[in-house]
Amino acid sequence: MDGNGRWAAQRSLPRTSGHRAAETAVIDVIEAARSAGVGWLSLYAFSTENWRRPHAEVDFLMHLVRRVVRKHAPLLHARGIRCRFLGVTDPRVPAALARDFADLMTLTCDNRGMTLTVAFDHGGRRDIVEAARSLIRGGVPAEAVDEECFAAHLPFPDTPDVDLVIRTSGEQRISNFMLWQVAYAEWVFPPVLWPDFRAPHFLECLHTYQQRDRRFGGVLPHQNGESRP
Amino acid sequence: MTHTDSGSAGRIGAGAASPHGRSSWSGTDDRTPPVFGPGSQFHEFFNDPRWAMAMVRATVLEAAHPQIGAALIDNSTFVAHPWRRLRNTLVSLQRMFGADDHVRQREAARLNRLHARLGGTDARNRPYDAMDPDVRAWVVATLFESAVTMCRLSGQPLEQRAMERLYAEFQAFLAALGDEAGHLPPSLQEFWSYYDQVVEEELENTEAMRIILYKLFDHLPAPPLLNGLPTLWAAGRTVAGPVLGAITVASLPEPFRRRAGLPELPGAQTAMQGAYLAAGLARFLPGGWIKADSVIDLLALSPDSDDPRARTISALRDRMNRAGALIRLITPLPPEPVPGTADGGLQRSAEEFFAQVLDQSGNGYLDWPDLAAMARELAGRLDLDEPEETRLYDAFADWWRELQAALDADGDGRISAREYAAAVPSLAGPALIKVAEVLFDATDKDGNQTIDADEHRALFRTAFHRDTAGAEAAYTRSAFVRDFLSFMSGRRRSTPFDPLLAQA
Repeated sequence: MDGNGRWAAQRSLPRTSGHRAAETAVIDVIEAARSAGVGWLSLYAFSTENWRRPHAEVDFLMHLVRRVVRKHAPLLHARGIRCRFLGVTDPRVPAALARDFADLMTLTCDNRGMTLTVAFDHGGRRDIVEAARSLIRGGVPAEAVDEECFAAHLPFPDTPDVDLVIRTSGEQRISNFMLWQVAYAEWVFPPVLWPDFRAPHFLECLHTYQQRDRRFGGVLPHQNGESRP
Repeated sequence: MTHTDSGSAGRIGAGAASPHGRSSWSGTDDRTPPVFGPGSQFHEFFNDPRWAMAMVRATVLEAAHPQIGAALIDNSTFVAHPWRRLRNTLVSLQRMFGADDHVRQREAARLNRLHARLGGTDARNRPYDAMDPDVRAWVVATLFESAVTMCRLSGQPLEQRAMERLYAEFQAFLAALGDEAGHLPPSLQEFWSYYDQVVEEELENTEAMRIILYKLFDHLPAPPLLNGLPTLWAAGRTVAGPVLGAITVASLPEPFRRRAGLPELPGAQTAMQGAYLAAGLARFLPGGWIKADSVIDLLALSPDSDDPRARTISALRDRMNRAGALIRLITPLPPEPVPGTADGGLQRSAEEFFAQVLDQSGNGYLDWPDLAAMARELAGRLDLDEPEETRLYDAFADWWRELQAALDADGDGRISAREYAAAVPSLAGPALIKVAEVLFDATDKDGNQTIDADEHRALFRTAFHRDTAGAEAAYTRSAFVRDFLSFMSGRRRSTPFDPLLAQA
């Protein structure tokens, strides 16, 4: 979800208004993905590196996210969307926000529709380090560790491999996003800025993805870390 | 206790001939209805919803007795852990009034040991003693009188014969506790004058009574089942608390209300009679719908207990949790978010731990009665006999001395929340380790140095957790001691000890 800052700069607005404008895009994309039959949607909202941004902007983001989560919680639940928050381990995440995240997860944990994973305070490397720690703590012998076993120690181990990553605003970097799961992902880089990103753009990206000659396309989605044929 | 001195000799003489001699409880004679168990007058009341109100009323009348009031203030956990206390009381009453004589004798012995440990002096330096036979007679008297009054207030007064039977049952209850006859008047006629006399001359406006009437209901913590809905609980409580208080006040004897200076609220009498009448109508519900013990059990069931009803309960709890989450999410944001209210963290703050676990009596201080209450709860769960019970109390007493030496900075003999927070690390001393070991020995009934599934269930009322069991289905001494210490000092949540000592 890149380009909030540039979107605001183009309109001579403060960066914060770019973030505010992103809310509509988020809701639109969630709805578009759900009606297009996407089973797993992940949004990269805040990275472990984003803490380096100015204090005021981080503070604003925390309040904005809290407001958005609370505003849309009943709707997400009513649509049968299962919501999860990946990361959220930094003590700088306000306690009230963490509780709202936990509440939304509790509320929607039994929903059977699309699974929405919001990566918040997320870092792909940190997840891998966490998995390694968990393996060592569990006393797993070195020979017993394979990809599947390792993946089982990542947070939310039921998350399948990522098929498609959409990075808006033309940026072409991974930026520490779900490093383990994007191993076989297709990447699309639409030039549109995130606040302007809408359902048609999303469907266009899906279409591009369908055109790709994926080696593993067409078979059932592979579980995270499962060895490939 | 002047009233008993004046008349007790005569009462003992008459009491010997009265029908509450020990031989009559076993119900050998087919003609006379049994004194205890199914068929007795008390048994008919046990599941009556009116009992809830009558019990509150009886408790207020007990608390108004200066000696009992002082004992409650010092020792009781009813402010901080009312639901656990209520459940324990019901289980105890069930055992005492059940059909099994052996169970009754064992429970009576346990109650006597428990009460023998309660003694001291009140705020005005008057001694109190929970074993004082006159005091115990008064407790039984309030229960009996509240049962009679409950019937009267709900418009279904007991017939004279039924009242006499009920009185004989309560006398037998006192006798089963091992008290000599004579502290309760031998006949019903004499009882009423005894009762009026105590009400008019002995009862006082005690602190314990005020706490029950005006503080307990307003601050009643949610029962474990409804933990996920704090907002809803608090909202219901704000309305129901004062109403319950007013209803209880209105049902107290008029002379006492006058003397204690209790308010007469307009409409309270009508509301009180309406409440009793409505609760009395529940007798038209199909049998088995209302069972006091199952309702209380249900409310007190801890989150992941593996009771047979566990699946339904955990499904219900999940729903409650989700409802709670939804309510929290849709409540408008308060103007300023309160810092440090994160729920569900693994760590809890020193203040929280102090209030939830250490300060069992809820008076804001850690004192010997708080640790004694923990020992009492543990001994009750494990159903300990002598000498294990004394060993457990002794271990807690040693721990208390250790705590006092380490934490009581201002030397007033008790530990305030601030003194505790300032010196948390020194909590895991050798005496605490000793407590853990004694507790392990008491739990390990067969002495095989591991706690197996049944022993685990006796203490925690849950089976092993899937994640903790792992390798073998037993709990070793070292793991038990480690978990106990991390609960008591590291303040870690989510140990099995949490529902044991922290739950309301």
